[in-house]
Amino acid sequence: MPLVLMRRAIQGRLRVNRSRLFCALSLAFTFNVSWAAPHIPGNNAEVVAELPAGARHNSAPSRALTATRLDIALPLAQFDISQARATGDLRFLGYAEAILQPWLNQPTVAPQVLVLNATILQSRHAFDASLTELDRAVQARPEDAQAWLTRATVLRVLGRYAEAMESCQHLAAAADAAITTLCEQSLRGLTGHLGDAYASISSLPQQDLPPEARAWRYSELGEMAERLGDDPAAEHWFREGLRIAPQDFYMRTACADLLLRQQRAAETLQLLSGYESMEPMLLRIAIAHEQLHDNGAAAADALLSSAFQVEEQRGDSVHRREQARYLLDVSHQPMAALAAAQQNWRVQREPDDILILLRAAHDAHQGQAAQPALQFLERQGLQDIRLDPYRKSI
Amino acid sequence: MLLLATAAHAHIASNGFLVAHVNGRSVSGSYELAVRDVELAVGVDANRDGRVTWGELRAAEPQITHYLAQHLALAAQGKACDLAFQPMQINDRVDGNYAWLPFTARCPSAVDQLTINYSVMDGVDPSHRGLLTLIAGAAVQTAVLDGKTAQAAFAVFAPSKWRAFVEYLQAGIWHILSGIDHLLFLLSLLLPAVLFRRNGRWEPVAQARPALINILKVVTAFTLAHSITLTLAALDVVRLPSRLTESIIAASIIVAALNNIFPIVTDSRARIAFAFGLLHGFGFASVLSDMGLPHGARVVSLLAFNLGIETGQLAVVLTVMPIIYGIRAGAFYRRGVMPWGSAAIAVIATVWLVQRAIFPS
Repeated sequence: MPLVLMRRAIQGRLRVNRSRLFCALSLAFTFNVSWAAPHIPGNNAEVVAELPAGARHNSAPSRALTATRLDIALPLAQFDISQARATGDLRFLGYAEAILQPWLNQPTVAPQVLVLNATILQSRHAFDASLTELDRAVQARPEDAQAWLTRATVLRVLGRYAEAMESCQHLAAAADAAITTLCEQSLRGLTGHLGDAYASISSLPQQDLPPEARAWRYSELGEMAERLGDDPAAEHWFREGLRIAPQDFYMRTACADLLLRQQRAAETLQLLSGYESMEPMLLRIAIAHEQLHDNGAAAADALLSSAFQVEEQRGDSVHRREQARYLLDVSHQPMAALAAAQQNWRVQREPDDILILLRAAHDAHQGQAAQPALQFLERQGLQDIRLDPYRKSI
Repeated sequence: MLLLATAAHAHIASNGFLVAHVNGRSVSGSYELAVRDVELAVGVDANRDGRVTWGELRAAEPQITHYLAQHLALAAQGKACDLAFQPMQINDRVDGNYAWLPFTARCPSAVDQLTINYSVMDGVDPSHRGLLTLIAGAAVQTAVLDGKTAQAAFAVFAPSKWRAFVEYLQAGIWHILSGIDHLLFLLSLLLPAVLFRRNGRWEPVAQARPALINILKVVTAFTLAHSITLTLAALDVVRLPSRLTESIIAASIIVAALNNIFPIVTDSRARIAFAFGLLHGFGFASVLSDMGLPHGARVVSLLAFNLGIETGQLAVVLTVMPIIYGIRAGAFYRRGVMPWGSAAIAVIATVWLVQRAIFPS
């Protein structure tokens, strides 16, 4: 089975206590989450739902099969997880969870099941639970490259770089040398050796990498170039990456963010056209319309805020980072954005999480709120040119 | 631009939306499940072309309601409520179309604590959640139902006594004013109150005093009688089948109206008022049992409802009496309104009697 390269927190969710924001939102929108009034369609031929590709694999007959055959359950769960990643359709994570459930209840759980479950948990931002599963998996099978790689990814999202590095080193014994290099250098790029790491990864010949790692290399290079301040190079890497992996959800949002930062809204819309159903993409679309001051803004805003409302009602912390950005860049509420960014910061610590926290603290004139993130930057030696203006002004 | 051109939907996790209004012993509202979730739970895409049409969905409606009956249950104080779904509709939400099913549930007693058993999408999508909006009076609660907590109990906020009083008073007034059968019965008894019988003819009373005494007797007897049976029925001491009470109420109007045309009882119409008032009380009680009496405010609500009926009744009396007292001496009243008005009332009541006794709804 090919390694699944997860990269950082993509779409995900996490349960949080109801915040004050949630109370306010849910009260205001409890009766308003519906798009339109219920109605009876005009004729029987009217299509009321297009079923997503692959959803049928989760219908009752397949479920009966996956409950008894691990060799069918594993690839199907794997398929559902990739489907969730490729399309942003969170229901697929649930389908994968349903497939794994009977296998997780066994007295001894197969390590592959644990790793897939960890992947689902990570996608939902249940990072601690994910780590627990991964620790069980590597204990049972220390040569499990997938488990070590996933573990490195989760720890990296949490900002626990030393432990992440340790996981990468374990990877060396089990996986391709090029993958180990990617794993290690991407961490060095966050801990004071950005220039070195960038050079090292860019000199890594593309053909040395297994196909599934090539897109990872591009997105890593793109982000490093951005942090180094070389935007044209960053755009080159992202575009190259999207050429070989157009389904790469993470790379597309990263590229959109780069374009938006350069006020290239029209190109952003072009890049994201056809991806409106994915909330993080929709957020970028809304920001682009906001930059253009055109009439698409209202529609994107309405759709996005409805999605946020339902997720708030569920008690999930939506995509907290996305929500903070929505509040800051679309609805222009710096105080609320700061609250969301702070909640997000408590859970995950990637450069983008720091960026949104610093921006919100700056716009809300609450320099104090950014102190924990600034201290983290100092401690790790994290280099990111996008953060520099805020380091000085806060 | 493109966003507006496409039917834009955002991906969110799977949710079922449950809105429940609690009102006494009845719970009404709606349940919604995304069509694509319905497909996985029940299987509605009959031709398996990856698209669900309204025709396919509607054809599967019995299976859908059957599935929901197995995965969504309501209970009041631990005792199951009888849940019935009404015809399905479609509701467009942020992540696509939903099958929207209105429902009503009848609970064995007024809902004090609502228990919800929720296991929709069980085994299909463990991340599915039921998003509940529970409304009782002015109080709104929201909650998240998931498969892990198989059942969730919610205290339905008991309305304050004052609120209950006002609500049931209004219900009582409304019921008597819109309940034309009770009014016609009362009217039939009131029409002769401004007259008296002499030598086989109706004569106008000379003074207001005897008229007022007549009215007072009739109204008091009617009130006393229906209050007794209303209380007994509302507190579940006595129960009569509604077909029987409704039919006898219609019959009582015929009797009272015919008595004005062919007088048999002339002096003590209060007795008729009392005897039939007992039956009308059961009629009032059926309205109350639809509403239910809120826990913690049973007596207050019952009292308020009864008071509402008396208030409405008094309003009718105060409106009608001065008019008929004013025109009592004329031939129009004595030879027109009395016989022909009563005859009309008797005809209407006969139609009701036939409807209620032979074709009950």
